[in-house]
This record gives sequence, C-alpha cells and structure tokens, in this order.
Amino acid sequence: MNARPQEFDAIDREAAQWVDRMNRPLHDAEVAAEFDRWIMQDPRHVESYARFQALWQSGGLQNALDAAAAGELDSADAEDTDVPNWAAQAWRQFAGFAAVALCFVVLVSFGARALVTEADYAATRGATRDVLLPDGSKVRMSGGARMSVRLTPWSREVALQSGEVFFDVAHEKLRTFSVHTGTSSVTVLGTAFDIDMVDRETRVVRVYRGLVSVDAGAGRQWRLPAGNGIEVGGGGVRSLGDVRGDHPGWIDGWFDADDTSVQRLVQRMNRGSDLPVVLDDPALGTLPVTGRFQISQPEMVLEALAAIHDLHWRREKARYVLSR
Amino acid sequence: MDRPAAVTQDWDAVRVTLLRYLRAKGAAPDLADDVAQETLARLIALSQTQQIGSLFALAFRIADNLIVDAKRRETRLFGDVDEEWESDDPSLDRVLDSRRALDVLSLCLRRMPPLRREVLIRRRLNHESCRAIGDDLAMSAKAVEKHITRGLLDLRQALERAGVDVSGEGR
Repeated sequence: MNARPQEFDAIDREAAQWVDRMNRPLHDAEVAAEFDRWIMQDPRHVESYARFQALWQSGGLQNALDAAAAGELDSADAEDTDVPNWAAQAWRQFAGFAAVALCFVVLVSFGARALVTEADYAATRGATRDVLLPDGSKVRMSGGARMSVRLTPWSREVALQSGEVFFDVAHEKLRTFSVHTGTSSVTVLGTAFDIDMVDRETRVVRVYRGLVSVDAGAGRQWRLPAGNGIEVGGGGVRSLGDVRGDHPGWIDGWFDADDTSVQRLVQRMNRGSDLPVVLDDPALGTLPVTGRFQISQPEMVLEALAAIHDLHWRREKARYVLSR
Repeated sequence: MDRPAAVTQDWDAVRVTLLRYLRAKGAAPDLADDVAQETLARLIALSQTQQIGSLFALAFRIADNLIVDAKRRETRLFGDVDEEWESDDPSLDRVLDSRRALDVLSLCLRRMPPLRREVLIRRRLNHESCRAIGDDLAMSAKAVEKHITRGLLDLRQALERAGVDVSGEGR
C-alpha cells in the first residue's frame, strides 16, 4: 500500500475531507455543487469517498470511540504487547497526556451539567405568552403552543410540541439556536423567525431577520434569508415569498392568507379566540381564501368569509358556526 | 439558492456512480443493482417536486438508508448473522464491524494525538459541529476539520497496515 502513487493519496485526502463536510447538517449551495462536481470528475473519487464513508459510519469506529471516550485507555497497556519498542517511550509520554486529557474531559462534563438549564413552557388556549429565555432570546407563543427549551454552554435547543411560535433569537457568534418539530428542524445563530406546526406533518417557517437553515430530513435542506418562507409537509414543499415586516401578523392579530384553506384560517382564529369557530360542513374547510384577515376579530373574519364564498354564520352560546 | 428542479439530469451517469458507490461500500452485486434502481426512482420523483442541494449527497444518503433497511430485513429473516455466513460474503460493513477491525481502530486511536482523538469523539459520537468543538478546544473550525481528515486517514491506514481489507475490490 505504501507504493501507491501520490495521486491516490491526494484523492483519499479529498475524500476524507468530503466525508466530514457532507456529514454536517448544513451545506450551502456552492459546497453542494462542488461536491457533485468532484464526484463526477473521476470514478476513483466516488470509490474512495464510499470507503471513507463506510469507515466513518461503521459500528467498529463507533465502538472504538466509545471505548476511548469511556477512558479505557489506562487498562490498555496489557494488550499493547505488539507495540514495537521504539514506540514504548513515546507511548508512556503520551499516556501522561491522555491522563491530562481525560481529566479535562471529566471536568468539562461535570462542569457542564451545572450549566445546563431545561424548562417547559405552554401558552393557554386563547392567550399568547411571552417568554424571555436565559440567553436573551425573546419568544412569543400563540395560544395552545407548547415547547421545551434546553440551554447548554455549547447549544440552544428548543423542541416545539404544538402550535405557532415566533422566535427573536439573541445573536451569538458560536452557539447555534435550533428548533426541532419532530419532522423538521430550523437552525440559526441569531435571527427572527416564526414556526407554525400546522398539523402532524406540515410545518411553516417564515424568516423576518437574518438567515435560517431548515432541515426536513433525508438530505432535504434549505437556507432561507429574511423575507422568505417555506411550507414543508405531506411530501411537498411550497416556497412562500413576500414575508414582510419584522414579525408575523398573528402577533398583532392579523393573518395573511395566500391561497390558504378556510380550515387553516379557522385553526388560526381558534388559537386566539375564546369562542371557537366550527364548520357546519367539513367540506367548507377546503375552500381557498386569499387576503389579510384580522383574526383577533372573529366576527369580522366570518363576515368576510361569508361574502367571499356566499356563506352564512351565526353565534351560538359557546361557539360560532359557519354554514352554507 | 439550490438547483432548480427542472434541470435535466444525466440519470444514467448518476446510476453508474451510485452503483460504484454501493459496490465500493461492499454491497453484493444484486443488492447494489436493486438499491441503485430504487434510489434513482426516488431521486427522480424528489427532483420533480423539490429543490435538491447536492444530488449525490442526497443519492448516497437514500442508498445508505435502503442498505440499512435491507440489512434489517435480512436479520429479521435469518436471525443474527452468524460467523460462517459473514465469511461467505465479507461486505465492507461487516469487515469494519469485526473484532479485528475494532482492535486495530482502538489501537490507532490510542496512539493518535489526544486532541485529535477528542475531536473525533466529539464529532462522530456526540455529533457536535466543527464550530462548537473549535470553540471548546480553543481552535479554529478549519483546524478541527483538519484533525478529522487526518484522523480518518490515520484510521484507514492503520486498517490497511494490519491487513484488514478495506479496498472494496473483488467483491
């Protein structure tokens, strides 16, 4: 193997580098294109990449690293009889380093536990809730939204369980802020964006400041600059241009519908309304609407819907009913 | 941002490259054919409805997942894969998961500069980003990247020197 031509070594080095890069959650378009070019350039590239990727993903490497991390280094001397003599001295010296490194790892992990903060937040139906996170990020939760927040010295993670939440993230140079919604996640350094968990699969992300990365799994990733939005779900993706202002409309009681279903509009209204709106016939939910609705005033919205689609609405004791 | 979905691809070239990827990872010829075909079908369907960043990154990921699924089915059908069967068709994954490979990799990790080992542990086991690792260990993200690349080359070379066949040839 030592006799391999230099060129092979260069390919291996590039392949190893690509394996690390492509195992990261974010690639920008330029890197992605460069990778595709590199793969197509020479058949040996894909072969070398495949072998390094197999090594990187292997259970063997995982187990070896697990053992190394668990500090099984110290008991290693006994198995180490096949180490040549010239290496023995270096090895002893290195064991000292390893002990120091180990202390460092232990210190870091003990110290870290004390620095981790975890909390759950929920907004009751019909009311929004403002939360100021310990890192300075401001969060506004719409009625019925639930989330857990975990802050560590190296990460800021939010698990959104339901509802719609607007995040105004305090910028930090190194610590990313991630929001996970089960099927997809959003990662940023410091921006303002809104996430809506519309149903089990559908997620809508709108960006008001900065740049966010949306990951829908299976290598599907998008980078969205301010002024853009995306709707992911049900196997499809819809890009939402025209995100205006510095915060979403629902905060001021407005909803911008863009060929949106009545069902969705009603769902939004019900988050902030004391009296829920129900549809007399579920089929009404599929009717499309476009325009700006003041969802803090359900009766005005119902009036508008009635006018657009020739419908009727009435107020009952504990609900509004929309019918044909 | 990303490649528009309407760009026409040379799907045949993609299929050939996928096959090469799968074969180099040690997939048996039949399995490689099936997986390449299925991956291509999904890729074409996705490319019609979505924007794809790196076509090959996505293709390899889909193929990797299909291989994992195939393995799971295989284990369900035959129970745990026994030694005998393993030596019949030593796919690269099985070679890399062997006791011998584990010993070689462990030894190589022990001999490596502690900092490099630390970087590998954080990146592969803890899935920390290069940036976060660099921050904690007081080095640039570029330096972290170099440690990982070098670490991978060391590990691969250790396997080759120990005679663990990772060439992916002859299968």
